[in-house]
Amino acid sequence: MKLGFNLILGGVLTALVILAGLLAPWLAHFDPVLDADLMNAELPPDATYWFGTDAQGRDVYSRILYGAQISLTVGIVSQIINTFIGVALGMSAAYWGGWWDDIVNGLTNVMLAIPSLIFALAVMAVLGPGLVSLLIALGLTNWSWTCRIARSSTLSLKSLGYVQAAQTLGYSDTRIMFTQILPNIMGPVLVMATLGMGSAVLSEAALSFLGLGIQPPFPSWGSMLTDARQMIQIAPWTAIFPGMAIFLAVLGFNLLGDGLRDMLDPHMRTRKL
Amino acid sequence: MLRFTIRRILQIIPTIVVVALLIFVIFSVVPGSFASSLFSDGKTAADPQLMARLNEQLGLDKPVHQRFLTYVGDLAQLDLGTSFRTRRPVLELINERIWASLQLAVAAMIFAVVVAVPLGFLAALRPGSILDTVTMVGAVSGLSMPQFWLGLLLMYVFALQLNWLPSFGYGDGSLRNLILPAITLGVTPLALLARTTRAGVLDVLNGDFVRTAHAKGLSEAQVVRRHVARNALVLIITTVGLLFGSLIGQAVVIEKLFAWPGIGSLLVDSVAMRDIPVVQGTILVIVVWFLVINTAVDVIYALVDPRIKQE
Amino acid sequence: MFRRFTLAAVLCAGVSGLALAEEPRQGGTFNFTAPYGSSFATLDIQASPNTQEEFITQAIHRSLYAWDSINNAPVLELATGVDVSDDGLVYTYHLRKDARFHNGKALTADDLIYSYKRVADPKNAFPGASYVAIIKGVDDFAAGKSEDIAGLKKIDDNTLEITFSSPVNPGFSLMQNTTAIYPSNVEDEATFATAPVGLGPFRFKEHIPGSQLVVEKFEDFYEEGKPYLDRVNIILMSEDSARDVAFRNKEIDVSILGPTQYQAYQQDDALKDNLLEVAEVYTRNIGFNPKVEAFQDKRVRQAINHAINTPLIVERLVKNKAYPASGWLPISSPAFDKDKAPYAFDPDKAKELLREAGYENGFSFEVTASPNESWGVPIVEAILPMLQKVGITVKPKPVESSALGEAVTTNNFEAFIWSNQTGPDPLAAMRCYWSKTAQSACNYTSYSNPEFDKLYEAAREERDPAKQTDLLRQANNLVQDDAPVWFFNYNKAVMAYQPWVHGLVPNANELALQPYEDIWIDDTAPASRK
Repeated sequence: MKLGFNLILGGVLTALVILAGLLAPWLAHFDPVLDADLMNAELPPDATYWFGTDAQGRDVYSRILYGAQISLTVGIVSQIINTFIGVALGMSAAYWGGWWDDIVNGLTNVMLAIPSLIFALAVMAVLGPGLVSLLIALGLTNWSWTCRIARSSTLSLKSLGYVQAAQTLGYSDTRIMFTQILPNIMGPVLVMATLGMGSAVLSEAALSFLGLGIQPPFPSWGSMLTDARQMIQIAPWTAIFPGMAIFLAVLGFNLLGDGLRDMLDPHMRTRKL
Repeated sequence: MLRFTIRRILQIIPTIVVVALLIFVIFSVVPGSFASSLFSDGKTAADPQLMARLNEQLGLDKPVHQRFLTYVGDLAQLDLGTSFRTRRPVLELINERIWASLQLAVAAMIFAVVVAVPLGFLAALRPGSILDTVTMVGAVSGLSMPQFWLGLLLMYVFALQLNWLPSFGYGDGSLRNLILPAITLGVTPLALLARTTRAGVLDVLNGDFVRTAHAKGLSEAQVVRRHVARNALVLIITTVGLLFGSLIGQAVVIEKLFAWPGIGSLLVDSVAMRDIPVVQGTILVIVVWFLVINTAVDVIYALVDPRIKQE
Repeated sequence: MFRRFTLAAVLCAGVSGLALAEEPRQGGTFNFTAPYGSSFATLDIQASPNTQEEFITQAIHRSLYAWDSINNAPVLELATGVDVSDDGLVYTYHLRKDARFHNGKALTADDLIYSYKRVADPKNAFPGASYVAIIKGVDDFAAGKSEDIAGLKKIDDNTLEITFSSPVNPGFSLMQNTTAIYPSNVEDEATFATAPVGLGPFRFKEHIPGSQLVVEKFEDFYEEGKPYLDRVNIILMSEDSARDVAFRNKEIDVSILGPTQYQAYQQDDALKDNLLEVAEVYTRNIGFNPKVEAFQDKRVRQAINHAINTPLIVERLVKNKAYPASGWLPISSPAFDKDKAPYAFDPDKAKELLREAGYENGFSFEVTASPNESWGVPIVEAILPMLQKVGITVKPKPVESSALGEAVTTNNFEAFIWSNQTGPDPLAAMRCYWSKTAQSACNYTSYSNPEFDKLYEAAREERDPAKQTDLLRQANNLVQDDAPVWFFNYNKAVMAYQPWVHGLVPNANELALQPYEDIWIDDTAPASRK
């Protein structure tokens, strides 16, 4: 595929999600939680309710817009935590090496061995359903690949002699890590984080399905979809629109991630498993 | 070679130990208890005496460090403990379920390989073609869909509207019951495998020896058959192995949706019931499975490509 | 355990008049669904308090008493008669002589003694222990002070004398599936969990864990000519949507419906005539914890009852798959007061009451809720805007089902939403508001009212059923006025069945529990079932 295609489509979709989230208070027609009138429950899409109403009589369109805020929060915050943990561990492990490297390696192997959904499920069971729990659970789950990439990138930088050069100049370890190493490994890390946003949104939906996601009344796409699965025959719009929202947002993040990678390093192999 | 294999096997032991500790810690602080979950449907009034007796019988009244010692002691003898809910050995329960899980994973993998490898190959041979674009967009779309949403759609179309296949469950174990959950589970590995195959084949095609082969005057078909296929195959096989190792852990949602009696649904139910020994046992089995497959893949890879051993 | 197959049962089951003329057809396979989980925990029913496992018991086991769904009362099952002493404490049971276990053993008094001892044994920690605790001497046995249960006396093989510690109706306790009778000649008790042996109409065939359990006709069943079916497949199917698809595909013969499907099935001409409905004995409610200052004021609790449009929620959200609650005891309860009006939806009155109580500026509280669609977070979401209008802010506090029970029984909540059993025995249901009942037992809202205690204690001592019912009715009305909870609804259970199925009964305890021995399928069934 042509280089720019992924980047452009991914960028457009991601921008749409961000705009939907940011402008939700102005674009939405109704309050996503309080404007619930049971008399208007399960109305099909029309001029007032563009995407119809749900079982509680709430406007699906407004809830999807506010849902974008939640999905973005989930995607971004969990990836900030992931990236922070992954980079801190990976970079320091490669830089200092020795026993610390062994420990980080061991920890990474442990995290890679536990399927991420199962680990997130366990953390959610401890913390209880909710947004903050979810951010923590997903933030703690997917840092191992970032860690590996940070580690291997740092190792190759080290072998290039950058680090020794800085060390001979008398720079402190932290200074070297922040000024010499970090800027050079940010590319692949950013790619991982963008792709990770997509899997975070999907994990949110899966955890909701298993009863451990963000719970109502927050209009999260995953919980909207989970609530709607019983109504797919009588009110299909309650399932179709949140499902589409998740699909398009995740597609956007994935394409953007692929596009960024193609741009940064055309020779990089395919996405890590 | 033997030394390499043994070393790799020994390497996974500390990982398993740490995983076991980690899940013990997590589930010793989890709120809710098995005794109270018995009354969660409100159908019978809570019975404090029964709850106390149960906690005593299950050893839950003992302090955490003591329970931990028991757990580790049992584990060292490969004993995963006794399920709270069924009062039977955890290993027995897992044994009842693991075959259904394996069946599902194998079927999903076959589906993924049969579709993804030819598509990935063709896409790589004609980069930029319509087929290539469609395959790659399809692959990234497959990675972007919520699993249970896809499963639900398939269920409605093929079971309800078209009436071709049963919608749920294991039935009497026939192939018809396997198709829908296997396809749903297979979509993610399919997408990943199609991308890997395409990238792998492209890599080989750009390699020096292929150019040499072309220069020697071999036809396109000969080049593909002799060089590309063989070299890309190594990558494909290792990818399939790795995907297969992680598939059982990914099947949780699908097993739940299709009421498939594998260890994924056993795990989710046990978490909900706070049947902690089963939760610990199933996670451990899933993790060990993953590690064993990975190690096997590494060893096979090393057999094919001896340079790996030095790394 | 429903032996009675009466004309009324057939009519109630909504089976057509034409079918009545038919002789029950012998043979065939019945595909039943177990909707409450994706596995059977154990096949040893004495060890499990869950409805899910009762689907098996229903086929394989029998207890001393059984529930008569038509007359709404416990009836003798394993005995042909009983003599009761004047003080109502000593019951002499004349056991059935024609009952045999699936392993060939004939039923004797030893089997009952063995079973009740097994249930009461504290080492087993079985859920039925609280039911057999009504037998005299169980506490000494449980405490290890006695080898035997003093209240159980074998007169001869077919006669058993049971002494109870108080004059209660033992039927409500000894009809429970957790007090099922097991044969006393099985060496290895562990086999009860994998290959159960009972007195029921069907014998255990095979269990495919996580998939289904199969039982086959037991030829020596004590009821003449029954069961009709050759085989019952009890299929595990917890996901509502999967059950829906399977039912429409005719893969299963019955399906318990949720609200959404109830509505959809009612609108579907092909399905709407084959729905069996019953008012079950569960009351859905939001309990208020007096630890929250506002809830100490009765007017605040009443205001909440007035501020919520309960009938609207029942109609629109629960799709009429429930009856709006007026008080604690459900409609089917003998002590239910038809003339007592429910709290009217009246936001102005609610505001008025809140002002009187000093909460005109409102307050906020958390409702601990499970994800259940009929009595969980979705209901809290629906009352949220309604209470907001009278100034009360509600915050749902979502928890898993297993954590809900713990939060409530440890008094760790501000308010909770739950479904609680309120029948069939009204005395047991009202006990939950007796001030001497522990908060953790079922007095979840720490209710205490001396006037109520007086009525309840009088009802407990009363031997005349009519007077007892009257006392309980007064007690129930008192609880309604005190409003320790928001009275939401009484569940209406709905089961859809295929047109070829006959013999289902409206069981108010749990509609999904059906008498397999009375069920038969006619010639219109698909070939795979015949």
